[in-house]
Amino acid sequence: MTAAVTFSDVRKVYPDGTRAVTDLDLRIEPAELMVIVGPSGCGKTTTLRMTAGLEEISQGEIRIGDKVVNTLDPRERDVAMVFQNYALYPNMSVFDNLAFPLHARGISKTEIRRRVERTARLLELDGLLKRKPRALSGGQRQRVAMGRAIVREPQVFLMDEPLSNLDTRLRSEMRAEITGLQRELGVTTMYVTHDQLEAMTMGTRIAVLRDGLLQQCGPPQTLYDAPDNLFVATFLGSPAMSLLRCRVERERDAIVCVLGGQRLSVMDNPSMPGLIGYADREVVVGLRSEHLSEADGNAPNGSRLRGRIRLTELLGAEQLVRVELPVAPPAVEAQGRSSGMAEVTARVAPHAHVAAGELIELAVNTAHIHFFDPTTDHAIR
Amino acid sequence: MSRSRYRRTTLLRELALIVAAAVFSVPFYLLLAIALETTEQTYRAPLSFPLPPHWSNFSQAWNTGGQAELPRSLESSLIITVSSVAALIVLGSLCAYAIARRRGRLGDLIYILFVLGIILPVQLAIIPLFVVMLHLGLVGNYAGMILLNVGLLMPLTVFLYTGFIRTLPRDYEEAARVDGAGVLRTYARVVMPLLRPITGTVAVVVGFIVWNQFFEALIFLVGSRYQTLPVALYSFAGDYVARWNLILAGVAIAIAPILAFYLFAQHQLIRGFSAGLKG
Repeated sequence: MTAAVTFSDVRKVYPDGTRAVTDLDLRIEPAELMVIVGPSGCGKTTTLRMTAGLEEISQGEIRIGDKVVNTLDPRERDVAMVFQNYALYPNMSVFDNLAFPLHARGISKTEIRRRVERTARLLELDGLLKRKPRALSGGQRQRVAMGRAIVREPQVFLMDEPLSNLDTRLRSEMRAEITGLQRELGVTTMYVTHDQLEAMTMGTRIAVLRDGLLQQCGPPQTLYDAPDNLFVATFLGSPAMSLLRCRVERERDAIVCVLGGQRLSVMDNPSMPGLIGYADREVVVGLRSEHLSEADGNAPNGSRLRGRIRLTELLGAEQLVRVELPVAPPAVEAQGRSSGMAEVTARVAPHAHVAAGELIELAVNTAHIHFFDPTTDHAIR
Repeated sequence: MSRSRYRRTTLLRELALIVAAAVFSVPFYLLLAIALETTEQTYRAPLSFPLPPHWSNFSQAWNTGGQAELPRSLESSLIITVSSVAALIVLGSLCAYAIARRRGRLGDLIYILFVLGIILPVQLAIIPLFVVMLHLGLVGNYAGMILLNVGLLMPLTVFLYTGFIRTLPRDYEEAARVDGAGVLRTYARVVMPLLRPITGTVAVVVGFIVWNQFFEALIFLVGSRYQTLPVALYSFAGDYVARWNLILAGVAIAIAPILAFYLFAQHQLIRGFSAGLKG
């Protein structure tokens, strides 16, 4: 009963000329949980609404299973949607909310009762069936909204930022719950969020969208380890990847990054083959905080960076240290600061004696440095 | 909080409201007082409250009165008002729903036409309207009067509903569509319940207008046995020229139903006027 969802060359242009989605090609496998992630206005919700049939498609084709659904009415598509604000019918009890999609499909009363009760048990809503939505807590409303989608046993679940109205703690609980439920039910799911943490933790695969263009699609770890471009690199991961501008030089069988007066020598890095072509040119270097640590005596010479600590953040299990390097930052967005100095974030032990204003020497895991072309923003490989 | 929030300004504000309420109550007082006086008292001391009250005025006004029988006109008024209001709520909300949810110019255009309908006075068209309705056999009966009211008050009804529906989020309707409901089921089960506050407002506002209607009722029910209360009271006043106690007893009977309805629907009314939707 579960089906693949296939987008072929799908485009959405609004009457005022805004392009919400451009030439989207994407296939969501049966029973997969695909997280569609991106900043607000990237077209992710539009993509979901086009799948639901709430938004017309300007060009291309959307298929659910083998059926082209472009012109089908929402109710003919056999999809269920969870809305950001839940959209529970305020005048109906929880039972009636859950029963509504079944009534609309002309299912018998006894069957409706059976299915609603089963769904309620699954979501631990048993005791709440007589209540009105306004008498429920945020988390309970969220469950009812999920229940209304599940009770239908549709081919596809569509979820539009379903956790964004919950507090942090409840959110992390519900993340696990939704993932578990989805796996148990085995229903193809499109999950839209702007939260990279939800994307990383929940997705079988992630599709990153920006300005209506698909940036990259793949399993979370792949996108994290090998982002195709600067946008994906900085969007996923917290703290965000630090970016620096550096000059590439060849030195025997190694590549050397020149960062101001400091040099990093790179040997076994996946970018090596591509980097050779960038000799004596500038590239953008991306460093994740887990690949930067406080240097001890063992760190080899070509893998150290010296800078001044601007800020430390103690997180309990670790400590984040923001370090200013005397290098010009790259002219890319998402770097926020404009002091004329680049900044990197490193992870150090929670009890390390670091303080703002001090000098620090960082050890760099050069095998995991990311390199990007400064003009195209593409990863160098 | 150590300090009471009840300040001097609060007291003054309350006093001002009490005075205003008292001023508005004066006509009601006069109405009730005179309706309970004997004819002699109405001339000697019309403003003082009669003790003991002369209740028989009500039964006399109710039972007598030649062609202007109150019971029959009360029945006419009730039938016309309830039917007109019900038809206006069903048709007006459907129409407004279509206008408010339609994208594009046609919806706006129709909306403007309705607003124009509020502004233009009905008196401008009364003669041709009367002629047409006379030919259609719609003068002097309930059907014609109800139809006329629905037509006359549809602009106001659509205006009130459209404004409210535009403030409603679309999510509920979209959820219903994805849940598999058609347009009519969505409207009946999801949208209409959300419109409850404005429906209360419409019922009261439109109900008042129809109930108090004099001019149209006088013309379109002419000579029939279906006189409404305002018209009946008018001829009542003609029959009892000097007996103000009976006339005002009749008036008290006439406003009682609508007053009761207002008190009953007050809560909804205020919610509808302050618009918006919570929860």
